[in-house]
Amino acid sequence: MSQLQEEGSGPVHGFLLSTVSSTQPTETGTTHERTGLDLAMKLHYVKAVCIYSAEAARELTVMHVKGPFFPIFNQIPWISGRLSRHDSGRPFIKCNDCGTRFVESQCDLTEEEWLRVSDRSVDESLVYHQPVGPELAYSPLIYIQMTRFKCGGLALGFSWAHIIGDALSVSHFLNLWARALAGEEVYCPKTTDSERGLPNPNPTGKEPGSIKRVDPVGDLWVAPSDSKMTTHSFNVTVKNIKTNFGANGNEFEILSGIIWRCIAQARGGGGSEPVTITIIRSDPNGLKPRAVRNSQMISSVHVDFSVAEAKLEEIVKSIGKATDERSEIDEIGESDDFIVYGAKLTFVDLSEVDFYEAKIKETSPVSVYCNVQGIGDEGAVVVLPAAVEEERVVTVTLPEDEMEKVKWELKKCGLIKTLINGE
Amino acid sequence: MPPPKMPDLSSSMKHKYVKLGYQYLVNNFPTLLLIPILAYTALELFRMGPEEILNHLNSLNFSLLHILGSSFVIMFFLTVYFMSKPRTIYLVDYSCFKPPVTCRVPFATFMEHSRLNLIDTPKSVEFQMRILERSGLGEETCLPPAIHYIPPTPTMDAARSEAELVIFTAMDDLFKKTGLKPKDIDILIVNCSLFSPTPSLSAMIINKYKLRSNIKSLNLSGMGCSASLISVDVARDLLQVHPNSNAVIVSTEIITPNYYQGKERAMLLPNCLFRMGAAAILLSNRRSDRWRAKYKLCHLVRTHKGAEDKSYYCVYQQEDDESHVGINLNKDLMAIAGEALKSNITTIGPLVLPASEQLLFLSSLIGRKIFNAKWKPYIPDFKMAFEHFCIHAGGRAVIDELQKSLQLSAEHVEASRMTLHRFGNTSSSSLWYELSYIEAKGKMKRGDRVWQIAFGSGFKCNSAVWKSNRTIKTPTEGPWSDCIDRYPVFIPEVVKL
Repeated sequence: MSQLQEEGSGPVHGFLLSTVSSTQPTETGTTHERTGLDLAMKLHYVKAVCIYSAEAARELTVMHVKGPFFPIFNQIPWISGRLSRHDSGRPFIKCNDCGTRFVESQCDLTEEEWLRVSDRSVDESLVYHQPVGPELAYSPLIYIQMTRFKCGGLALGFSWAHIIGDALSVSHFLNLWARALAGEEVYCPKTTDSERGLPNPNPTGKEPGSIKRVDPVGDLWVAPSDSKMTTHSFNVTVKNIKTNFGANGNEFEILSGIIWRCIAQARGGGGSEPVTITIIRSDPNGLKPRAVRNSQMISSVHVDFSVAEAKLEEIVKSIGKATDERSEIDEIGESDDFIVYGAKLTFVDLSEVDFYEAKIKETSPVSVYCNVQGIGDEGAVVVLPAAVEEERVVTVTLPEDEMEKVKWELKKCGLIKTLINGE
Repeated sequence: MPPPKMPDLSSSMKHKYVKLGYQYLVNNFPTLLLIPILAYTALELFRMGPEEILNHLNSLNFSLLHILGSSFVIMFFLTVYFMSKPRTIYLVDYSCFKPPVTCRVPFATFMEHSRLNLIDTPKSVEFQMRILERSGLGEETCLPPAIHYIPPTPTMDAARSEAELVIFTAMDDLFKKTGLKPKDIDILIVNCSLFSPTPSLSAMIINKYKLRSNIKSLNLSGMGCSASLISVDVARDLLQVHPNSNAVIVSTEIITPNYYQGKERAMLLPNCLFRMGAAAILLSNRRSDRWRAKYKLCHLVRTHKGAEDKSYYCVYQQEDDESHVGINLNKDLMAIAGEALKSNITTIGPLVLPASEQLLFLSSLIGRKIFNAKWKPYIPDFKMAFEHFCIHAGGRAVIDELQKSLQLSAEHVEASRMTLHRFGNTSSSSLWYELSYIEAKGKMKRGDRVWQIAFGSGFKCNSAVWKSNRTIKTPTEGPWSDCIDRYPVFIPEVVKL
């Protein structure tokens, strides 16, 4: 089989692939269009992993896990369809009920052994990821991996094509699954075209700073990158941020400011500092009800001063003045291939996302990991909620040769307590 | 003689009435003959008057011995007649397995899996796509869980699981519908052609439901898609020998171990058509079941063309060049099916056709032999003998062929086409899904006659004739209960995939 995720010799193995679809057939010829904003995100994929304890998940069989997805796909049939192109070349989704790929795997370690590692980026091997293409008509948009730990614990990993929705959508999807598993009826109201529109569609005509044009990728939707990227994940406490780094703003803005400064210092002063960053966060005026869509606000921040030397308050203040660029992106999203995450140094705020509400037997997952695939060379930082309310999980993805320097800067400023090599 | 086709409307109407008149005359000939005889006798009796009649009777000099002797002879012949009459076999009720919706296989999913499983042979994938487009199947047919894997995982455990799922679900439903207690089953016949484990599937049922130790159980394997009617035939014979008994028949085909994993095109065809299904049927010869039974078995005719090599080899299980086992379907399949049907009709025709049709067929036959061989053979109008037809949903071609050769209307073959669309080819149980469709549509009235025709490897053509015992009211409980309102659907010649 070509283009398959390599099983490798790691502790996660025994991949069995099957397909999960809907139970009711969609009418032949149904299609689903994508906006310019959706198309701009097409080279990215959201990867999310939820790990459940053995007590909660031990008795769940494969059919128990697969079962609840069927009614969800009845409600949202287009996410189980396949991509196609209009004569103009614009991609759209053919609602043919082809389904999503479901992967079963085993892990030789117990959950405790797996969770002992403080750098949660190991969770990336619990996500079966395949890019869309080279044949659009045969590429699932969602991959679901179910991993059984030696002790009976369960991990659910999602690889989710960003063209269909953002990380909030993944959480929404997971929550629907948990509710269906508990026996509740799942109902998703259909979103009309007007509801899918943007809140303030007044494009300024400016080229948006938050995205970058890349060379055409054709039908293989992999973001091109010059450097090999690596990910490092660590926990921080809200108290630590608020007390040791005094600045006005919420913890995400402060955290972003700190990390921006550390990265600026690591890259050395002068021209190589990142003076423009992208902030991606939930839209506070977001459209209700929850649905699968790209609803996140993508905004840009540009400063004229040197970030490495600036005071934290200044940086945080600038972050607060980020400008929403979604309309501009929507205008040009169809015309070319773009990357958004990592086009500029990107900070993603997922700290309010309700991953932990997806409960099995009324028990929340013990760990949640979320990151984006296809991050550009400028890097990205994702801030997630942690299992404990006062903590946050920070996942930093940067070029390999930068990571050590940045980690050292982070430790120097007091964000990371200890630095253990190799973790 | 063959009715000539006249474009002129008034003369065709005249022709219709001539034909109707002829049919009425021939079919009611005994009655028409009896009426004048009775009329004459009645007139004579009235003319003679009661006294003359009594004088006639007295003159016959009946002694007590005569009377007793004659009565004894009459009683003797009546007893012999009733004893030798075959027991009436009633079909009390039956139930069909409805697959779980999580086993649904949409076209797009089937094609994607096919492409991933046959990644090195795109021509075979294209072939499967063309077959699927023209197959007449819909988007709701189901395959067992093991076949949903890429590649499929047909272990023996998975096959047994599928067997347990389909058979036990159908049987539980049958018990509920009929109130039958497992311990009351006298005869159990299971037919499943391509999966025959040890202990047998009938033993599996006996174990699950704790059936009696003196049960007469039978497991028929390898007998193809017509095996359900073979089981009914065997049950009928057993029920002649065992008075006051019932028989449960389970017809199914287990897909899991038989999904062809190779790339030979002729052997990929069954993968596109065969789907999960099962039926459980309760037959009885008890008089007490007469009131609640749905059908009465009138005739069952089995025809086997296996003596001819080309019939024997036309559906042949074999290994391909890579040692993958599959079923090879010969290109002559339709022609052979047509011939087998002709043989079967030759036997069943005289049993079911009204005298008018038989006479026409006979005169056409004699005419062709004696006068002119070029005369078109007269095809008896089976629509006069039956109200409903259940043609095995082997594939679209089978139904098309039979519709043409028996000159049936679209409505007559609707049950077969819609069963193929909704459930696919479920092999031996398809006849029961079709019967269930007719009932769900509210078309089954008391006295209606049903003709079930099944084809199978061998090559065999078996047919059964049932007579409806009572009008079946809608809505019915069965595999069609949640979707019957959507049917019939228009099935395009080629579905755009």
